[in-house]
Amino acid sequence: MNNLYLIISREYLERVKRKSFIISTLLMPLLMLALMLAPTLIMVLSGPESKTIGVIDRSGLVAADLRDIDDLHFSQLPAVMPLDSAKTIEAFDGILEIGEDVVDYPSHISLYTKGAPSMQTETVITSQLEEALENRRLSRYDIPNLARILEDVKVDVHMSTFRIDTEETEATSSIVSYLIGMAMAMMLYMFIMIYGQMVMTSIIEEKNNRVLEIVVSSVRPNTLMLGKILGIGLVAVTQILIWGLLVCSFSKWIMPLIVSSMSSPDFDLLSAIGQLGDPAYVLMLFVWIMLFLIGGYMFYSSIYAAIGSAVDNIQDASQLTSIAIVPIILGFVFSMSVANDPNSGLAFWLSIIPFTSPMVMMARIPFGIPGWEIALSLVLLVISFLVMIWISAKIYRVGIFMYGKKPSLKDLIRWARYK
Amino acid sequence: MNILEARNIVKDYTGHRALDDVSIEVPQGKVYGLLGPNGAGKTTLIRIINHITAPDSGEVIFDGHRLVQDDVRSIGYLPEERGLYKKMKVGEQALFFARLKGLDRAEAEKSLKEWFERLDIMSWWGKKVEELSKGMAQKVQFIITVLHRPKLLIFDEPFSGFDPINVQVLTREILRLKDEGATVIFSTHNMASVEELCDRISLINRSHNILTGDVDELRREFGKNKFTLEFDGNPDALRAALEASCTAVDIVEDVRRKHLAAEITLAADDARRAAIAAANAAVDLVEFKPKMMSMSDIFIKAVEQSNYPTPPEFPTHE
Repeated sequence: MNNLYLIISREYLERVKRKSFIISTLLMPLLMLALMLAPTLIMVLSGPESKTIGVIDRSGLVAADLRDIDDLHFSQLPAVMPLDSAKTIEAFDGILEIGEDVVDYPSHISLYTKGAPSMQTETVITSQLEEALENRRLSRYDIPNLARILEDVKVDVHMSTFRIDTEETEATSSIVSYLIGMAMAMMLYMFIMIYGQMVMTSIIEEKNNRVLEIVVSSVRPNTLMLGKILGIGLVAVTQILIWGLLVCSFSKWIMPLIVSSMSSPDFDLLSAIGQLGDPAYVLMLFVWIMLFLIGGYMFYSSIYAAIGSAVDNIQDASQLTSIAIVPIILGFVFSMSVANDPNSGLAFWLSIIPFTSPMVMMARIPFGIPGWEIALSLVLLVISFLVMIWISAKIYRVGIFMYGKKPSLKDLIRWARYK
Repeated sequence: MNILEARNIVKDYTGHRALDDVSIEVPQGKVYGLLGPNGAGKTTLIRIINHITAPDSGEVIFDGHRLVQDDVRSIGYLPEERGLYKKMKVGEQALFFARLKGLDRAEAEKSLKEWFERLDIMSWWGKKVEELSKGMAQKVQFIITVLHRPKLLIFDEPFSGFDPINVQVLTREILRLKDEGATVIFSTHNMASVEELCDRISLINRSHNILTGDVDELRREFGKNKFTLEFDGNPDALRAALEASCTAVDIVEDVRRKHLAAEITLAADDARRAAIAAANAAVDLVEFKPKMMSMSDIFIKAVEQSNYPTPPEFPTHE
């Protein structure tokens, strides 16, 4: 027991103290944050510098409806001004020429600019012109009180969805659940993949290095393997805890700032913030992530450990690792389709079978599924990781002393059967 | 009293029997040599003694009881293939291994410092292992092996890769530990490197223990009636003259010698005088002395005498 503790603490401390761990743990959330904020930031930073567009309205009907927006200014020119002379005016960044019969032929509109026009400029102009032209056409029907009628018929639908098969009465948005589910499945996928492979490379390194021969003269091979899996697992847990803290403080301090800075907050976004702002809900998600992460990690890292013990170098491992990688990727891929239809039979079975259950269950949980399904999935996961560790320990014990030959899956199965 | 007994050990790997009914008895306080060519099964036997692998049948008795996992704390094992964690610092790493052997932190640190000072490597304490040369790393590995004052020390090919000066340092330290009461097992294919140190040996060849005995006794027994002689003259004349008194006369081709040399085996215990007289008459005799048997000579003889047929070559699972 004491030896197990020593192995775990060596594996743990050696990794946590590394600069690369500290940097990646702190940088990763920043990177994510940057990815999330990048579009907004780019829009803000590269927004149009003040631009003035000269308008030649040959129809004389729509120019008056063009309103200045943000940094885009419109300036009316005489309707008879020749285009070529307007183009020579220095003050204008662009000339908008509107055709005489524009109400009937809306394609008779041209924009001449110095330099490529920004997307935003084009959108602003076309949407304003569309509105103006629509109004012109409507007015041809001579409907009284048109403006009021239009105001009156305008509708913006916000649907609240409620579950009737669970006791929760809260409103849930399936889009938000989908996004949360995908994010969680993604996170599990990444952690299981990265940390599982870390176990494998670390075992290969020990074997290559021959330090293993010295360690096993004092420690049982089983203890060493288990210590390594647990030690590296603790590193993963540490990283998640740090990220959890960062996410919490992000949503508490930074999220409100973003929301308040947005000119027209999206309804879905607001409800997502509402859902994520609920501490009980976030805590529940966090607990499930932790439990399934630990289960999935233990399951897959013991497969990786068996593979690592059998081979001499990473190159030889590539074929065998598909045993682990393929189901992990499948789990992630399926979790995307499961998040679209979280209560299908496929979704149920994939979230129960241990190979895919950690990822797929993450995609289902935000939709609120029955507790017994989660419990069943977890229990099965725990049982299968215990079995897997037992099998891997048998392979490991033999594999670590095998040098020189590239083993096949058949060899691994044979070793597992040794007394 | 024997500190270690391995009884009728059998170990099979797929398509290959690594050990076939091997028994050894290691007396307390002695230096024991486990000799044999590469792939003979020595390392497998040592792994079984270290409780790393389990035998298919047979048992290991350590210090009067059946070997259990906790006994490895009384054993110090320096494996043939050995390495250290490259990224870890020397002192930290030595502490880690010492604690794995059951020492507490303070105790481990104290005796580590003693050892580092004795071998004059205190300045390496804070260095990473990857900064050390191979020879330096081996010194650290040696300290790790002996630090917890084990009753039984097992060295597998201890001197491979060491420079002569470090071999001397190591030999001195091993003998010192022996004087303090430790029992030592050397396992090596390089018999010349340890034969002066061993009290008792076992020869392992092709999974069998083909010979066990005290080094002095074995030398006497195998060297019985064997003499070497140096002479000037006609080798054929010598051969003819010794035909009556000797069973074998081998002329040794050795360009380094000034004289010709021969190795002879007497036909009977009391034939020495007759042989000397006959040789003296036939050639110009320079020297006539009992042959010093080296362990390799004994090994070759023992392999010839052993009954085990030469099995086909198997891939070795070292």
